[in-house]
Amino acid sequence: MAEQKQIAFTIDGKQVTTSAGTLVIEAAKKQGIEVPSFCYYPGLSLQAACRMCLVEVEKVPKLQTACTLVATDGMVVKTDTEQVHKARKDMIEFLLSNHPLDCPVCDKGGECELQDMTFRYGLDKTRFVEEKLHSPEEKWSPLVYYDAPRCILCFRCVRVCDEGMDVKALGVGSRGVQSVILPNQPGELACEECGMCIDICPVGALTSGTYRYQTRPWEMTYVGNPCAHCSNGCKTTLSVRNNEILRANNRDHSGINGEFLCAKGRFGFDFTTHAERVRQPLVRRNGKLEPASWEDALEEVARRLKQVHEAHGPAAIGVIGSNHTTNEENYLLNRFARVTLGTNNLDHHRTADYAGLAAALGPRAKDSLATMADVYNAPAILLIGNDVTQQNPLVAWQIRTGVRHHGLKLYAINGRPSKIHRQAKIAVEVAKGGERQALRWLATEQGQLDAKTTEALVQLKAALEAEKDVVVLFGAEIQGSAIRDLISFGARFGGKTKFMALGDYANSRGASDLGVLPDRLPGYAPLADATERARFGKLWGGEVSATPGLTARAMMEAAAGGKLKALYVVGANPLKTFGVAQPDRLAGLELLVVHDMFLTETAQRADVVLPAASTYEKDGTLTNTAGEVQLTHRAVDAQGPRSDFDLLRILSHQLGMLGLGSAIRLRTPEAAFDEIRQNVAGYDLSQANLLGGGSEVAAASCKAPEPSYEAPSGAVFSSQDYLFTSGTLGRYCSRLTSTNEAKETPWGSSPNTQSWWYR
Amino acid sequence: MQLPAPLEAKFKELAGRYPVKRSALIPMMLYAQDQFGSLGDEILEEIAKRLDLNMIQVEETLAYYSMLRRKPAGRYHVQVCTNISCMLRGGNELYQHVQKRLGIGHKEVAPSGTFSLEEVECIGACTGAPAMQVNYDFYENLDADKVDAIFEQLQAGKKPKPSPVTAGALHERLPAEVPVISKRFGIPNSNKIDVYRNNDGYRALEKALKEMTPDQIIDEVKKSNLRGRGGAGFPAGMKWSFVPKDTSKPKYILANADESEPGTCKDRPLMEMDPHQLIEGVVIAGRAVGAHQGYIYIRGEYRYVIDIMDAAIAEAYAKGYLGKNIVGSGFDFDLATHTGAGAYECGEESALMESLEGKRGYPRIRPPFPAVVGLYGCPTVINNAETLSTVPAVIRMGGEAYANLGTPKNGGTRLYSISGHVNRPGIYELPLGFPLRRLIEEVAGGVRGGKKLKAVIPGGSSCPLLTADEIDIAMDYDSVAKAGSMLGSGGTVVMDEDTCMVDVARRIMHFYAHESCGWCIPCREGTAWLRKMLDRFHGGGGRAEDIPLIDELAKNMLGRTFCPLGDAAALPTISIVKKWRNEFEDHLAGKCAYKPAEMIAGAR
Repeated sequence: MAEQKQIAFTIDGKQVTTSAGTLVIEAAKKQGIEVPSFCYYPGLSLQAACRMCLVEVEKVPKLQTACTLVATDGMVVKTDTEQVHKARKDMIEFLLSNHPLDCPVCDKGGECELQDMTFRYGLDKTRFVEEKLHSPEEKWSPLVYYDAPRCILCFRCVRVCDEGMDVKALGVGSRGVQSVILPNQPGELACEECGMCIDICPVGALTSGTYRYQTRPWEMTYVGNPCAHCSNGCKTTLSVRNNEILRANNRDHSGINGEFLCAKGRFGFDFTTHAERVRQPLVRRNGKLEPASWEDALEEVARRLKQVHEAHGPAAIGVIGSNHTTNEENYLLNRFARVTLGTNNLDHHRTADYAGLAAALGPRAKDSLATMADVYNAPAILLIGNDVTQQNPLVAWQIRTGVRHHGLKLYAINGRPSKIHRQAKIAVEVAKGGERQALRWLATEQGQLDAKTTEALVQLKAALEAEKDVVVLFGAEIQGSAIRDLISFGARFGGKTKFMALGDYANSRGASDLGVLPDRLPGYAPLADATERARFGKLWGGEVSATPGLTARAMMEAAAGGKLKALYVVGANPLKTFGVAQPDRLAGLELLVVHDMFLTETAQRADVVLPAASTYEKDGTLTNTAGEVQLTHRAVDAQGPRSDFDLLRILSHQLGMLGLGSAIRLRTPEAAFDEIRQNVAGYDLSQANLLGGGSEVAAASCKAPEPSYEAPSGAVFSSQDYLFTSGTLGRYCSRLTSTNEAKETPWGSSPNTQSWWYR
Repeated sequence: MQLPAPLEAKFKELAGRYPVKRSALIPMMLYAQDQFGSLGDEILEEIAKRLDLNMIQVEETLAYYSMLRRKPAGRYHVQVCTNISCMLRGGNELYQHVQKRLGIGHKEVAPSGTFSLEEVECIGACTGAPAMQVNYDFYENLDADKVDAIFEQLQAGKKPKPSPVTAGALHERLPAEVPVISKRFGIPNSNKIDVYRNNDGYRALEKALKEMTPDQIIDEVKKSNLRGRGGAGFPAGMKWSFVPKDTSKPKYILANADESEPGTCKDRPLMEMDPHQLIEGVVIAGRAVGAHQGYIYIRGEYRYVIDIMDAAIAEAYAKGYLGKNIVGSGFDFDLATHTGAGAYECGEESALMESLEGKRGYPRIRPPFPAVVGLYGCPTVINNAETLSTVPAVIRMGGEAYANLGTPKNGGTRLYSISGHVNRPGIYELPLGFPLRRLIEEVAGGVRGGKKLKAVIPGGSSCPLLTADEIDIAMDYDSVAKAGSMLGSGGTVVMDEDTCMVDVARRIMHFYAHESCGWCIPCREGTAWLRKMLDRFHGGGGRAEDIPLIDELAKNMLGRTFCPLGDAAALPTISIVKKWRNEFEDHLAGKCAYKPAEMIAGAR
């Protein structure tokens, strides 16, 4: 970027140097001078509507709005004069004239910008004796309520919905003092229900269906966690009172997502208190799952695992891990499977080919993995597959914001329409599932494509080859050798090309990175590598077998075929995921153990169900799809269920006493993370930033590129969750599923959804 | 949706009128409403589809404009003006009579569906006050009997003859008048191109296009000291010179004929009787700045004027004064009208551009100014219709000769629409610098009924009021400013000794509260608060502390609002409180000395 010209101006007597084009309100902020405002919101278009930021400028007769005033050389600005104070006081008085002053019962009380500004700048009495405007509160959706009298018409909500979200669900109705915010359908919102409008509202005009009239903000404690749902790892601040999460928002706009949260991050937390939550261990007796004590349940699991192990050997045991469990739990599960049980039958539902990317990049991963910030900052992006608006909402937000703020150029190839194509410079809509073929053509000019697609790709290719520092994003459509094609195509762009695989869930990447894979040890160390086997074997106090394990899909098939006798499932629902939900599918199993929060299709068939804590109920780390690692904290006590970490640890002790493996000595997730940091490639991360609530990029990757790596057929696929679904977890987010929009997939042909999703 | 053929044709034509589809939104809605009586879901969805808009974009635009409605009105929508000029001449009483006669109130529809009623803001018939519109037809100089006769005819299925031209525009020339732009007023068929050509028409255009360079045109206009006739009085030539010369973007000329300033009705006769003069002025402006497209934004209530203008534009195209290679000069220029739909704020230049782009009429942040970033983000010259109508005369006569008609820095002549308590309300063309006292006493024939003068609004209701002692001033921009008011739009409103100034303040504030766009806090909340307060005060519920509070609240708006509408509301209010404080005090004591007008709320 070109060096910015510097200018010098004076504010409140201070000589200040700043880059040309800086708004006075921003320059003031840097000097610690607060210029109050309602309508000004960094990153959104300027309004100059609230007139709170009026300042004096020497030689200018009228007060000027600091939010639109660009500082220029020699300008003299005063923010602390009688005239300015009077203006602020008067604006507050005008604003309060029709404001209901129902602060004692307003959700925003204590967090309200109008309250704060009145406190700081307002009049101490009310001179308005006329009748205030009244209108009833409106319910726009189960999640969004609008109270027009409280609205100060700063239009932040309208702008964030239009400019930020590109949804345009809000408008302004009527005129003058009668002006109100309008939803896009009479009295009802049809939108992405992201709740950004609620978050950005400076007053209590837009309130959250999940939070309204629940509590006062000062009665809660706040815990910043990565969201439990998709793979983007947005930080969501859980607001907790009496061991219950009452609200989620990104309170301090920290974290990789800044101010952004989607519907899942904001409203999808009520699974923690869902009535169907399993809170007590269940053991199948006489064909029925019945509550049992922890002692009995764990004893049952240990005893029967030992039996299967003795009778059929370790190869008859399979372990399926999770996209949601923490890195520490995945690490423990690795040890548990490979050393305690002695099997490499270890896998999870892979939603993006992270292993393929690691194999293709090798050690280059260290500086070739794009972060969420890179997506925003990139001058250009190539996006192949995945409907990011639906599946990776933060990625989509970063792209949209980059386009808006600095002209990021988006190039997209997709087998279906996507809302993000509105932001694209070139969007090539190929045949359904045709992304792989299009990429092959781009990389090698080989393969048959129709003339229209070829023409579009020629254009896209020429444009991309003129770009530099491109960030390449790809979904599950691109795996194995296709990733190698992508990297070789990416090498033709100027500057440094970076990559990001787009997965589905909160720790999809962590599961791969930590080696919940049949052929990879943590950090993508090849199972075939004897040195690596020895290294981890030593660490885990046992021996890692060289025999490659089965994929999750193969395990399910082996179970059906009677070859697998015991299946140990942690936080997954393979019966549903692998589409083999026939009741007799698991008939060949002698033992099915499931850790889960709910009685999923798989859990219902289990011999023992161990109730598990959610990510909001335990400590650990999660790795988002970009490789960014963040701490997650126990925001609430699970009240019954236990973390998978504890369950695996305790079980290893039980099994150890029965002579199977040795007890896991890592007592806490912190201790496990220390071991990970010392032993897992790419995870040698500094703690300081993580402890401060930040993120660190883990570039877990292969030691050397593996030019022939292919993901096993059918192992890598996306669940096609959209904004209102989230695998099994999403089914228990009642708030999320209560919206009209949740009822239909965005990819259906219903004119109803099409009308708001793609227009 | 299958549209009736004429509407379909109108839609097709509108769709082709603008480089950006959305610009057709407001005209499409208004013409569709004329067809169907109101705007239902089906037609709005059809319009949204045609213009690639979301319904929310359509709905929010519709909601802004007071002429557009979701619910049906009567077959005859009666719109009675009670704004200041009409109020002074019995508008309130007329409105009460109409309410009684039709048995309905504001925004109500009679059960039969024949009539609906609306109390409206200034309709630009100030010199024919009191006035009303039935649908788009103007009826002026009304009284109860005339209204009854009109309703009787309507009920009988006949169409009463509307007022032929803006009342007061046609009269015997007074010696004081200097007809330059009004010189064709009164010539039969003056709106026809042949009549226009036979009376100096399009000669300036030929001269400008064939004999002058663009810079020479701008110089000539600079020399003429022609200043904006809309109100602000900015020198037109200077405005034109701000348009960048080296730009790859298209440029636009906009004629602001959204005449809505209460007390002002001069653009209406100007377009009605001399549409070609405006066309000629626009094309010359286009040549001067290198623009090839112009729009004349006319307030929606002036539908018949739009029809006249459209016909004139068609004639000009037919005769080669518009379109390609105008008069063989090689210069191309296209021109179309654009209808507003009821919003005073759209007379503000940047709000007008938003409106022309099919949006809510919110003003824009400046800088950048329209000369650089205007319509569709392109360089744009926007001038009042009267300003542009003056351009042909400037070119024809030469800038200097035109300037010499007026006073230094205040070149030429302008139209005054003088209304209120005078014997001869009307539209008069007078040189800049003409004495206000003579304007009232000589030109307008003095205060009617031998009453004494109490107050004068010199140039539209946004101006501070002058007392009877303050009228010995010259009517030019600088002199009126020196006297603490503004020359404004030339809408001079005269009030006699029986006028209740609290009522005047109240009525003026009603207007600005109704027209505040709601964008910025001080104007939105300030006008509404003051309106309620003045209502209460005028209705007998005043408190001593209200008087300074009215003054302070107005001052709290002043200079702090996003656009000049806040000032427009504040200035007259401040002046009334200052100059007629005694009347506020009388009200407090329960003794309004004047015929207390019944509380009438004003349009809402």
